[in-house]
Formats: sequence, structure tokens, C-alpha cells
Amino acid sequence: MRRRHFVTCCIALCGAAALVASLRAQPAPTVWDGVYTEDQATRGAALYDKECGQCHGPAGAGGGMATPLVGAAFSANYDGQTVGDLFERNRTTMPPGKEGQMGGQENADITAYILKVNGFPAGEAELPSQSMALKGIQYLAFKP
Amino acid sequence: MPRTRIRFVPALLLLITAVALLQFAPRVSGQAGAPVFPSTSTGEWPHYSGDIKGSRYSPLDQIDATNFNKLEVAWRLKTDNLGPRLEYKLEGTPLMVKGVLYAVGGTRRSVVAVDAKTGELKWIYGLDEGRRAEVSPRKLSGRGLSYWTDGRGDERIVFVTIGYRLVELDARTGHPVPSFGKNGIIDLKEGVVYMKDKPLPLETGEIGTHSTPLVVNDTIIVQSAMAEGLRYEYSVNAKGLVRAFDAKTGKQLWRFNTIPYPGEPGNETWENESWEWTGNVGVWTEMSADREAGLVYLPVESPTIDIYGGNRPGNNLYAESLVAVDLKTGKKRWHFQLVHHPIWDYDAVGAPLIIDATIDGKPRKLVAQASKQGWLYVFDRLTGEPIWPMPERPVPQSNVPGEKTSPTQPFPSKPPAYSRNYLAPEDVIDFTPALRTQALENLKKYRWEQTPFVPAVIPDGKIFGAINVANTMGGVNWPGSGFDPETSTFYTQAYNSQVSATAISPEYFKVLDPASQAKHRIPIWESQHFGKEESFGPRGPSPLTEGLGGLPIMKPPYGVVSAIDLNQGVLRFQVPHGDTPDAVRNNPMLKGLDIPKTGQQGIVGIVVTKTLVIVGDPMLTAPPGRPRGAMLRAYDKQTGAEVGAVWMPAPQSGNPMTYMVDGRQFIIVAVGGGTYSSEYIAFALPQGEIKRTTDR
Repeated sequence: MRRRHFVTCCIALCGAAALVASLRAQPAPTVWDGVYTEDQATRGAALYDKECGQCHGPAGAGGGMATPLVGAAFSANYDGQTVGDLFERNRTTMPPGKEGQMGGQENADITAYILKVNGFPAGEAELPSQSMALKGIQYLAFKP
Repeated sequence: MPRTRIRFVPALLLLITAVALLQFAPRVSGQAGAPVFPSTSTGEWPHYSGDIKGSRYSPLDQIDATNFNKLEVAWRLKTDNLGPRLEYKLEGTPLMVKGVLYAVGGTRRSVVAVDAKTGELKWIYGLDEGRRAEVSPRKLSGRGLSYWTDGRGDERIVFVTIGYRLVELDARTGHPVPSFGKNGIIDLKEGVVYMKDKPLPLETGEIGTHSTPLVVNDTIIVQSAMAEGLRYEYSVNAKGLVRAFDAKTGKQLWRFNTIPYPGEPGNETWENESWEWTGNVGVWTEMSADREAGLVYLPVESPTIDIYGGNRPGNNLYAESLVAVDLKTGKKRWHFQLVHHPIWDYDAVGAPLIIDATIDGKPRKLVAQASKQGWLYVFDRLTGEPIWPMPERPVPQSNVPGEKTSPTQPFPSKPPAYSRNYLAPEDVIDFTPALRTQALENLKKYRWEQTPFVPAVIPDGKIFGAINVANTMGGVNWPGSGFDPETSTFYTQAYNSQVSATAISPEYFKVLDPASQAKHRIPIWESQHFGKEESFGPRGPSPLTEGLGGLPIMKPPYGVVSAIDLNQGVLRFQVPHGDTPDAVRNNPMLKGLDIPKTGQQGIVGIVVTKTLVIVGDPMLTAPPGRPRGAMLRAYDKQTGAEVGAVWMPAPQSGNPMTYMVDGRQFIIVAVGGGTYSSEYIAFALPQGEIKRTTDR
């Protein structure tokens, strides 16, 4: 009885260790892993034109007052951060005068479009709309 | 020891102390005798640009090349709680008068007074303007505030709210001054018009300012600005104006209409009666004045619809002009239009610089206007005559229907440009032959000519746009420039590589077309689209940068600090400003190449001291050897050599300034952006490093 209990414990421990190891082996996703879909970016483009483009210019090219959402300065702001940081910045401060009024899905769609115009590839799954989940996606300027 | 002698020694000490205090301490108002006004010469910083001449100069010299690297953070002021939300775009430059520092900050554009030595809060003022602020074209904390005193103890802080109200506060308490306007406030939207003479709606009418009122003697001069020009679908908007108010009472003294009315000189430059519906032509950056000459200098911006002028044929005075008006009456004395019939967003930007120089052996009174297009336009400030020839030269013509491009534009012959204003073939990216070949191939898809005046195009499947350099964020922008009054040397940071592919999409043109506009002579706030405006343009990555791996199509230096000797009209130096961007340094396409310091894209302002030009990086970087951040850099004024740098957690977002309190020199700068919320950081030398010989 005691021996059987010992064996069960060993198996359970080995199983747990294997699970931890497999979790550790799973690298954190990055913006290079296709973290949004083309459809989502298309929806985001339409929203961007309505909510962002008047200040940030077409496709994030920048305007007189608002900074570009593409290029070296933008890349430097988020390189090494997470998509959640970008999402949160948009959610809490954009667009000025209507901060916090857009829904999570709309923000996620616009974020997907920003990823697209910055040259990151589309994939099979949509970008989620919870910032905590997005914090798990690394923003890396260059492909690792 | 006789008693008289014992008394004499403390008395002598008191006398010496008193003399020392009078000589070295900041002057104090409110005492008997002549009125006393603050000045950079006493270690203060009483105007946005240090003075009303736009110099951004302080004679302080405690911080110099030998000790700049030893600067430490003296105190910091985080703006997170100065408004209802975090702010990431703090553009303010504080003032410092008599040991108190005044600044704007936060998404409410609150005003704070803090102890200039420690940052300890003294008072805070904020005005909740509700929807009026929500729909303002000029939100967030703005660029600063102004100070007025009678020199005898009455001190007031002057600023413009997000909702375009002029407010005067008691500098000691932060309370509105009851005798000014209505309980300390003037509604600046009152008196603003659109179309011929329609009064602007007070809540939704589009007008505001980020810039600071100019205080000259007892006059407060206030500018006007509208939404950033890229968004415009409507020719109709608020008309630009500049007004002056009595600093004590708020009574309006004069107004200058930047779009002249019928019967006023310049109205004839708006063909087809287009003066009536056209809006904007504001003055959205800082102004300057020559107190002795009694002149105020106004850098004027573009009319509505930045990149298409088919609805406003003619030269469009006083758009994109430098205008000198009388300080007492507001009457125009002279003007010079820098760009005729503006369609490039070449707003006149930054405080005009009131400089005295010696040219060809003669003392000259100059006003110099920096620009996005890299040229410093230099005039006799009393007459408006160009100091050096500025000939009209033929420029390319537009092929967009309805557009009547000006046949010529003025080209300053001297001094040379401080930053690029067209894409020369030799300035195309050349890190590798393959990159250059790709870039030249890309450029075949654009209207590319070697002039700052390439007109916008309607893309037709073969040509995607016009190559413009510096037309939106390039060259010098709102941070302006500065100068050393002792040497008549102009200094500036400039964005040296901003390339746009300017296009009017067919969808956008349908909206802009004069026939279409004629059917909709309404401003945006009367439109059913108000608050739901759409923009038009390409939705994918630009073909201009295709195959370049995210690298700029223009080669370095991407951003520069330049110096121009105005006695000679020559460039003294031009050096890259800022570390090489990570996007360049780490770019896989440049692997194995030795990339020199490139400088950075962006616009940032300077402060000039006795020996240094000081300016922070406009961009975050994480080069080997230091944490991710940005550097505040010091350049030798004579040579442009970088002589020191200190780390900041985020890029510079507002112009730095310097001041001295109790023998310690401070440099304060606004930083923020990206994921770093805004703050002011005050730097100073450690107490042990302060050279007592230079104490004041």
C-alpha cells in the first residue's frame, strides 16, 4: 500500500515536472508569430481612418501634431515591450477627447492594423481584446 | 574689548551680507524705488523663450563642458495626477521667477507653482471645461504660460486653457485675478468668426492654442490655432486672428485679422471671393517683439486644406508669412510671404528671432524666421527688407484639377539651409549598393524633383505621390530655435530627413473639388460627420520604402544641430544629433556594416547658455553600455562638439530651459512618450561640484 502510494507520487511529480518543462520550452509569442488576422486588420483599417487617421496620417505616416505610428521612433517606443502596452496606451489615451470610449474589440482591431502597417505578418488567430492576454505577446522590432 | 567694537563687527557683517544679497540674489519686486522686472540676466526665465526676442538664451555658466556629465536629478514633477488621465505628450517649458517655478502639465492643462529648488508644490489651478475641451483642436497640456508684473509686487500668471479661455492667476496664490476679464477669465472664442461674419459657437467652434501668450509691457498678445491640417475636408473654418489685451484689466486693445477683409490690403490675393469661406491662417507657435521698435512679429500658418488650394486661388495673404504689427495698435507695418499660395504645409513656425548683428561693417537690426523648409529667412526687422537677396524663382506646377500653383517662390540666397528641403540624388540611402538601387527604383513611382516645391499629385496607378521633404514635421517646427545675442549666432535642432509622399487620393479629391465644396459651405461642427470624421489615404505600407527594411530612404544625418553666424550669413557647424536609432543600428540589412552616428528623426528645442547648446534626444534608444532611454546633450557653442550627456528615462518632449536659485544652476526639461508618462526633470550639479566663484 505504502509502496503503491510512493509510486503514484513519483508518477505525479514526473508528470508535473514534464508539464513545467513543456511550459518553459514554449517561447513567448512575438509580433512575428502571426498574432492577428487579415480580416481583423481590415476592420482595424476602417476604424483607424475614422478615429486615428486625421491626426496620425494615412497608414500611421504621422501628421503635424501627432507622431507617426510607423518608423524608427515608434519602433523604439515599443521594441522590447508587449502588444499589451501598445493596446493599453491606445485604450487609455486615444483618441484624445474620446479616451476610453472605444470597446476592447475595436481597440484590438486598430492594434492589429498598426501591427500590419509596421510590417508584422498576419496569422490564423485574431488578436485578443484583453490587455492582460496581450501582455503575453512581445513586441520585437526585428524578427528574433 | 570695548562694547562699541563688539557691535561694529556684526554690523559690518550684516552690511557685507546685505550687499552680497543685493548683488547675487534674484531681484525682488514690491519694494520702494524703480519697478523691477525679472530677466535671464538675474538667473530667471520669465518668458517661454527666456525673453520676448525668442533667444532661448541664458548667460548662466555654472554648468559647462567640464561638469555637464556630473549633472544629477535635483527633482522631478510627474504630471500623472494633474489631469483626469495620464499624459504622454508634455510639451511645456516652465518659467522661473524669484525662486518659484510655474508650469503647465497634465491632460487638464493644469498650472502649477513649485519651489524651484526642490519641486515642492505651492499651488495648482485647473479649469474643467467639459465638452468644450473634449472637442478642442488643441488638447493636452500645451507649451507653457506667461508672466506679467507691474514691477512693484503685482505678479500674475497668464495662460490659455484647452477650451480657448485666457486666464490670469495671482502668481502667489494661483487664484484667478478678479479684476481681469470676468473673474480672471476672458472667453477668447467671443469675437472669432467664420465665413463672412458668423460668430463662432462657443462650445463646438474650432479654435484654440498650445502656445503661450506674449507679454510685452502691459500688453498680452494671444494667437490662434485650429486642428492640424491633415484632417481638413472643409474649406470653411474659424478665421485666424491675433488679439491684444490690457494685462491689468483684460480689455481688448486690438485685433489683427490674418485673412484681410474687403477693403483691406491683401484681400485681393484671395481670388473668387475665397477670403469669405476660407479658414485657419492662424498663428499657432510663439510670437516675438521688439520693445524699442514697438513691433510684434507674427509667424502665420497655412489656410484650410493644407495640400490643395483649388478653393482659394491667389497668393492667400497673410498665410505662411512673417507679419510685423504695431504693438500699440495692431496695424500691419510690413509683411513678407515666405510661400505663395501655400499647398505644402510650410507654416511659418517658431518664435521669430530678434537679433542684432554687424553685416558688412554696419550694425543691423534683424528678425530671422526659421522654417520647416530648412531656410532661415532674415529681414531688416524695421522695414521687412531681406538682408540678403531672396529672388523669386520658377517652381514646378501642379497637374491637379483646379489647382493654380504660384509660378514662382522666394529662395533665400543666404544663409545656407540648416537642414535639407529636397531629396537630392546624392542624399538617397547608400548604406549598400543594393539598398540604393532599390530606393532609386522606388522613387520612379513618384514625382521627384530637386526643389522644396513639388506639388501634390492624384495617384494614377503609376505615380503614387510627390516627394516632399520637411513639409509636415521636418526642419524646425514648434520648438523653434535660439541664438546667442553676444555673438549673433543662430542655433537650432532640425529634422534633416523627413520625407513625405504627398498624394490626394481620388476619394479625397471628390471631397476637395471646388464644385463639391461649393455645395457644402459649412464648417465641421455643423456637419453630420462632426466627431465621426474619416480620413482618406493608402492603407498599406508605402511603396516608397518597399524593400528598404524599415530604413529611411534619405541617408543620415537624420537629425542635426546647426549653427549660423548671422554677421556673415554662413553655416558655422552642422552635427548629427542623437544616437543612431535602434531600428538602424540593429537592422539585419546592415549587419556587419560600420554605421556612424546618424542622429535621430524628430523635432526638439534647445536652450543656449554662456558656453553650451543643450538639447535632448527626440527618440528612445538602447545602445550597448547604457539602459534604454534618451540623452540630454550639451554641445560646444563654438565647434558643435558634443561635450557631455546625461541619461533620461524618455525622449525630450518639451523645450529645456535653465535658471539659477541660491547659487545653483538648474536645467529643466519635459520628457515622455511611448509607454512613459510625462514628467519634468530638473537637473543640477551635486552641491560639492558647484564652483562658488561663479555664484550669483
